[in-house]
Amino acid sequence: MHNQVEMRIPSDLVFERVVRAAAEEIGRQLDFSEERVADLTLAVSEAVTNAIEHGNRLRREINVGVVFRMENDALEIRVIDQGEQSEPPQVQRCAISEESIEEGELRGLGLYLIHQLVDQVEFTTSEEGNTFTMWLHVPPQNGQARRPDQ
Amino acid sequence: MIQMEDRGNVAIVHIQTPSIDAVSAREIEEFCGRSRKTTVLDFGEVAFINSAGISGLLKFIVAARKRGHLVYAIRVSPHHRKIFKMVELSRFMPIIEEGELAGLQ
Repeated sequence: MHNQVEMRIPSDLVFERVVRAAAEEIGRQLDFSEERVADLTLAVSEAVTNAIEHGNRLRREINVGVVFRMENDALEIRVIDQGEQSEPPQVQRCAISEESIEEGELRGLGLYLIHQLVDQVEFTTSEEGNTFTMWLHVPPQNGQARRPDQ
Repeated sequence: MIQMEDRGNVAIVHIQTPSIDAVSAREIEEFCGRSRKTTVLDFGEVAFINSAGISGLLKFIVAARKRGHLVYAIRVSPHHRKIFKMVELSRFMPIIEEGELAGLQ
């Protein structure tokens, strides 16, 4: 498909930066505002980090797949790991609190940020792995102005 | 990646990387324990921060708080102000303007 960008990276957090750079460029090509590009980039970063750390458990020899696809009025981003079948991830924390600091819980904000930054999310799991999909709506004039295949 | 500048009683930590993420956060964590009574983190060169980066910043803040030190942030972009507010990081590291630095000294 001409409106699709596919990537595959080793499960090493260094390569999360590569996907993030691609997300930023795709957001710009879609004429997203600077703030929307920043939201997209951060959401993609969080999803890919989760896939590397929790899905593939940092096993460098297996890949994380990422697919960016422009649909009618939305940018769809699929992040695919090869981890074990699992329950849909739950938002663990919504904010930093005195209690979480006292208990040394300094991670776990990624999924909350994703939910705040994108318009829709979906999680599916199978024997082959897990797929986390995010959608960001594209304003109509932007979607018609420039698409990745133009 | 990190440069510390002493301005009287205030230490300004210039974070000289465009990205605070899982990889670069380790370098910030290595700075834990080097805070001063008033420490200001300068985000002027930072274009990207994710939750792993926020975790690294939190470790620095927690270490500073244990020593009774205060941590502030300056030159924070509008996007990062939004994110800091979203996760309530601003409660533990208030954002100030550069003009307010003199008042901290």
